[in-house]
Amino acid sequence: MSAEGMAAPMAAPRARPAWLESFAGQLLALLASFGIALVIGALLILAYGENPIEVYRSIFDASLGSADGIGYVLSIATPLIFAALAVSVCFKGGMFNIGVEGQYYVAMILAAVAELNLDFLPGPLLVPAVLIAAMLGGMIWAAIPGVLKVRTGAHEVVTTIMLNGIAISLVGWALNGPLKYNDAPEGAFVDLRTNVFPKTGLAGDLGSAFGITPGAHLSWLFMLAVAAAVIVWFLIRRTRLGYEARAVGSSPGSAKAGGVSIGSTQVRLFLISGALAGLVGMQNILADRGYLPLNFVVGLGFTGIAVAFLGQNNPIGIIFAALLWGILSRGEVALQISSQVPREFIIILQGLLILTVVITYQIAKRRLAARQLQRAGMFGELDDSDAPGESAGPRGPEETGAEALEPSDEKRI
Amino acid sequence: MTGGDGAGGSATPPLVVLERITKRFPGVLANDEVDLELRAGEVHALIGENGAGKSTLMRVLYGMYPADGGRILVRGHEVKIGSPRDAIANGIGMVHQHFVLVDPFTVTENIILGEEGGERLDMDAAQERVAELADSYAFRVNPGAVVEELSVGEEQRVEILKALYRGVEILVLDEPTAVLTPSETKDLFGNLRKLREAGRTIVFISHKLDEVMEIADRITVLRRGRVVGETRPSETSKAKLAEMMVGRPVLFRLEKPMVEIGEPVLKVENLTGEGKLNGISLEVRAGEILGVAGVEGNGQRELAESLIGLRTPESGTIELEGAAIAGRAVFDIRNAGVGYIPEDRHEQGLVLNMSLWENAVLGRQDDADFSGSLGFLFIRRIKDLAARLVKLFDIRARSVDVAASTLSGGNQQKLILARELETDPKLLIAAQPTRGLDVGAIEFVWTQILDQKAAGRGVLLISAELDEIYALSDRIVTLYEGKITGEFPPDAPPEQIGIGMLGHAPEEAA
Repeated sequence: MSAEGMAAPMAAPRARPAWLESFAGQLLALLASFGIALVIGALLILAYGENPIEVYRSIFDASLGSADGIGYVLSIATPLIFAALAVSVCFKGGMFNIGVEGQYYVAMILAAVAELNLDFLPGPLLVPAVLIAAMLGGMIWAAIPGVLKVRTGAHEVVTTIMLNGIAISLVGWALNGPLKYNDAPEGAFVDLRTNVFPKTGLAGDLGSAFGITPGAHLSWLFMLAVAAAVIVWFLIRRTRLGYEARAVGSSPGSAKAGGVSIGSTQVRLFLISGALAGLVGMQNILADRGYLPLNFVVGLGFTGIAVAFLGQNNPIGIIFAALLWGILSRGEVALQISSQVPREFIIILQGLLILTVVITYQIAKRRLAARQLQRAGMFGELDDSDAPGESAGPRGPEETGAEALEPSDEKRI
Repeated sequence: MTGGDGAGGSATPPLVVLERITKRFPGVLANDEVDLELRAGEVHALIGENGAGKSTLMRVLYGMYPADGGRILVRGHEVKIGSPRDAIANGIGMVHQHFVLVDPFTVTENIILGEEGGERLDMDAAQERVAELADSYAFRVNPGAVVEELSVGEEQRVEILKALYRGVEILVLDEPTAVLTPSETKDLFGNLRKLREAGRTIVFISHKLDEVMEIADRITVLRRGRVVGETRPSETSKAKLAEMMVGRPVLFRLEKPMVEIGEPVLKVENLTGEGKLNGISLEVRAGEILGVAGVEGNGQRELAESLIGLRTPESGTIELEGAAIAGRAVFDIRNAGVGYIPEDRHEQGLVLNMSLWENAVLGRQDDADFSGSLGFLFIRRIKDLAARLVKLFDIRARSVDVAASTLSGGNQQKLILARELETDPKLLIAAQPTRGLDVGAIEFVWTQILDQKAAGRGVLLISAELDEIYALSDRIVTLYEGKITGEFPPDAPPEQIGIGMLGHAPEEAA
């Protein structure tokens, strides 16, 4: 019971800073889970009577094997980064935004409206105006569940799912009504779409500078997605809002007692999430198509949930997760060309990946927590050897929702 | 091993022998060659400060942790206990501090869960068996009641019955009274005596010395993972036990500083709300500690939460130095100069998976010192603040970057205290400030509260521990069913205060 506390210059177990250890640990966990998923996938390929190494090589060749392939991967990853970031922002505040899907639909409508009505603006003004319109669209659609949750307690999962349904109908209505094309020659058969956007309003091609085929539709939207990830990281880790969001997400009671307004924090998070969701559809309409078609790419919001999970809701992790997803998606093409393995194999592999990530991360987290505990023990900060903080109050850590970090769990196994 | 004659010294051979049990956690030696004997039909108290290794030792016995060394003998035979299931098969049961009950199930359903016996479930017969079992040990519990509607004390009875239903002969209770009101404690002790009469063995883990002196037949004291002594209540005293536990003499009464009592800091009039507060009026003056005594659940929590702004009262006024604060936001009330030590530090005090520095600034993240007008946090400054608090309050932590969950309960409470006192509040609301803390940490918290008084601040102390009320208060009021039922000087006899705690009313049954 001597008063060493922090002051004691005892030999630290290792001089490595905690963040580096945690980063290295996470990277290791990701690689391990990737490895496990590949091995299980290989067994499936063998069951198909194909050579796993060749199949994997063809996936690799199609994605990272050429400049074009990389271009495809990056453009596939672009919307997924936005979607996963949108999911993760809400998740930090303890909310589950299933509505990214609907939010980007509505955003695409507003973006199309901006494209077609602000076409008098020069390109450098038009594109930002379109992006702002898209973000506004996402925010409006995200504000509804946010406000409903705070005002009435309606659960965001339910409301966002319902709003997704409304949003898809809104797109259909807009394309059949006010936004329906009139730029096609009379009598020509054209799929339902808006008018073609002005050339100046599109996301400029980035690929050609690197010798990537224009067919990959790689645009500077990818750079914007990476920038968004950095901004989100900063927001969560370095700003008051992010701080309050994490407090609300982990322990609403403590946050409230600390003077944080839970409702206002949650609404603000939903708005930010919606703004990010608004950018999800831009790759499709500003880079791939150049107009808003009825058969636009759907499901990106849902895939974003998976990618956010894969990236462990960490903005930087999300970039890598989206790239990995892009590699696999691109691999679908390779499978169709060079093997008898059905393309659905990729979906299985993506599913496996999520499973293995969930499992290995849990294990890694516990290991890491045990290490923290070990350090704590060495420094005598645990007077309470068996369960830190166990003896607080009649209701203990179980209710704080922080079980994953409760080192005592580790030992009960 | 048949025919092993156990320890020769005593008349009744020990029922359970723990021999040289050693348990290591990374960096911590939780149990260091601990020997312990449990005899049939005794209440054996296992006492020690938090972290002395009491719970660890019993979890080893209950099969939750594998021991790193030593062996366990039950009725003279060495047994391997690898899981709680093995322990129960050997007649050993344990009730933890945190209950594991299925809330929507009835008492009976919870008790028979996993022991249904057969495919067909005869709930009536099961209910009868449970009722019989409860009656035989005078447990007051309705076998048909749904668990989520039970009080904490009743839930605990269900947990104990669950163990007894499985034919357990050795019952380990981990700090059973930590969650109980005084009257519930009395009931529990009645049950324990019945169990003892029936020849069952009870291990009573505690650090509450009064209770240990009352109920135990034998007492084993642990300190830093080792047995430092074994004794009987008749051969020892509270002070001696405390000294054994802590390793130094402990003061049970601290010197109250002499301070001139000043103007009222807090004035509450007719505070009413949510059926839990029924017209509370009280006053806390500068340099004064007002103790609010009472059995828990009589509005303590609602009172504290109304004062800090977590609840909006239906009517009544709350004035802080003359300014009305009732119904204002927590943020405003804190800024007006109120500090708050919540009764549940995990639920309302700390964000456990956030770092010490992030917790150190909670409630002040808007200060110009800690974040800019654009909302960026000044992390360097916040960490400096945290480091200062850690040093000032001797919080044992490797760095300010570790998660609050890695701290012991005592250190967590110190962190909250440090944070709340750092702003120099005019009024400190301390709700159950030493709940679950060990003797050393209690002394520290008490000293800090008395220092507030010495500095001329007002303190509203809400506590279910009469000891604590007596040790700190300048005036004592009793709270019963949301009303102040009496005001007493600090030297009023406990019987008088006890009457106030029961609302003067003879109709009180529980």
